[in-house]
Amino acid sequence: MASSAVSLYLDPQIRDWVLFPITLVMILVGILRHYVVLLLQNPPKKQSKETIREQRALVRSQILRATSAFSPIAPTYYKSISQSLSQAYGDGSFLKDGPPKGEDKPAPPNPLTDPNAMDGMMAGMKTQMVMMVPQMVIMGWINFFFQGFVLIKLPFPLTLGFKSMLQRGIETHDMDVRWVSSLSWYFLNFFGLNGLYRVILGNDNAADGSRDMSTPFAAAAAAQPQPGQVQDYNKLYKAEQDNLEFSEGLYSWVAADVETRILKKYGRTI
Amino acid sequence: MEFTAALQKLGAYQPRSSPKSKEILRASLPLLQSGSIARRKGEAGWDGVETLMLAALDEGDVKTASDCLEVLHTKFQDSPRVDVLTGILMEVKESPKVALQYYQALLQEDSSNAAAWRRKASVLRQLGEIGEAVQELCAMLDTFYTEVEAWLELADMYSSCQQYDRALQTLSHALLLAPQNPLHVLHFAETAYLVPDIPLALKMFLQAVDMTDDDEQDGITPADTVPTGLALRSWFGVKLCTLKLTTEPRASSSASQTAPPTAAVLQSLDELVTERLRTAYLETTRESPPTAGPALVEAVAKIIPA
Repeated sequence: MASSAVSLYLDPQIRDWVLFPITLVMILVGILRHYVVLLLQNPPKKQSKETIREQRALVRSQILRATSAFSPIAPTYYKSISQSLSQAYGDGSFLKDGPPKGEDKPAPPNPLTDPNAMDGMMAGMKTQMVMMVPQMVIMGWINFFFQGFVLIKLPFPLTLGFKSMLQRGIETHDMDVRWVSSLSWYFLNFFGLNGLYRVILGNDNAADGSRDMSTPFAAAAAAQPQPGQVQDYNKLYKAEQDNLEFSEGLYSWVAADVETRILKKYGRTI
Repeated sequence: MEFTAALQKLGAYQPRSSPKSKEILRASLPLLQSGSIARRKGEAGWDGVETLMLAALDEGDVKTASDCLEVLHTKFQDSPRVDVLTGILMEVKESPKVALQYYQALLQEDSSNAAAWRRKASVLRQLGEIGEAVQELCAMLDTFYTEVEAWLELADMYSSCQQYDRALQTLSHALLLAPQNPLHVLHFAETAYLVPDIPLALKMFLQAVDMTDDDEQDGITPADTVPTGLALRSWFGVKLCTLKLTTEPRASSSASQTAPPTAAVLQSLDELVTERLRTAYLETTRESPPTAGPALVEAVAKIIPA
């Protein structure tokens, strides 16, 4: 093995004209991409108050239910709030388009025809384009000019399992695994530079390459809670009615026996 | 979240002179004049400008407030926060009517601006249009249910028109949203006393006592402590209720169908609260307190912090 360690000498020109340029280009492209994504992102759309009301209607009953086992409010007030909420859910008066008319329920709208949902998806696609295109260009550039280059020798030994990772593009069986090919150097940078971007651009940067791995649809879905599918609030309200009824059974007033509690606390007997 | 909280704060803002605002004004004014106020680190600097502006308004220094707003406006062109600040300054500088129109325009552009909505209600209240103010605030709370401060303001409006049962309903929402706050419980109890719904008030006063008095620790039982602050105010309320329940037989009727305490419980409660109030009185004034009910109430009323 001692002979194989010195069997290869790398021209310093490779270091100066291939290794450093690839690294530098990748860093710069990452930074550039971050700013392009910032430019492309349009501010989140303002929601109308009707939409907000529809979305937050469920919060009301959740707040009411959260304390129902030891509710701070007296039974009459609890009942009146609970019943008025239940009725409002039943009538659908929280829905932004008003209560549903008649028996025929409208089918949930197709997300692809809803312009609002479309916007969210388009934004995801645009970001993905900015991510993918430069990476493809760089990879093409490396493949075209530096195919089969050996760029660097790692200062530590590795097992043979790393061969496919470190020597992509070089079809030799007996070369030491420590030698890294140009295409593998590209991949190492691709995954390894995220830490550097985080230092340069801050935690929430758009240059993070690991996000490229997910499909555009998955990324769009992850970025925004529900841009694609439209929530059928009417259905959620109907379910919440049952929850309210259930909580009404659990209800107890925290002040129901407060007199005895206080008297006991101060050591008095009734 | 932080941004929403900042907007909520602005929505609830009322000019009020205080030593703190004087201090802020004194300390930050030279910074503004030298133009270095925003050069402090990042967001803290801009927050400082906003704080200074509100402090200047507290002290009635319109000139400084306008300068601050100008600084903020050049930096943040279309921030809803600056929009609301502009409105606040307008309320002070111009007539409330102008501010009202401004808020209406803001809301027309973005109907989900809760802070502007609240300010609109408060301007309407200043103009004396309580009915309209209540309507606006109700509509706002129907959309933004979780704004406790707005619920309290609405209850205050109802109370100012002697609509105490409406105020109670409003306060029960505030209680639901912040069940851990004894201040709201006390507020609820005092409003219930005004309705008057004495049994309900008594329970809520006792609940407030339970939340504010000291828990047993280091072998000192609650009975050995001296009630102060909120706890004293709650005890005072309990005393008022027991006094009413023992002297006026009709007081035990309750709109909320709360059962009044039995005679025995009432008796022990009255003894306990009398003892508590006498302890507090003795501790604050070093005088021997009166023993009888109404005289004690009058004496204790003087030592309760406002």
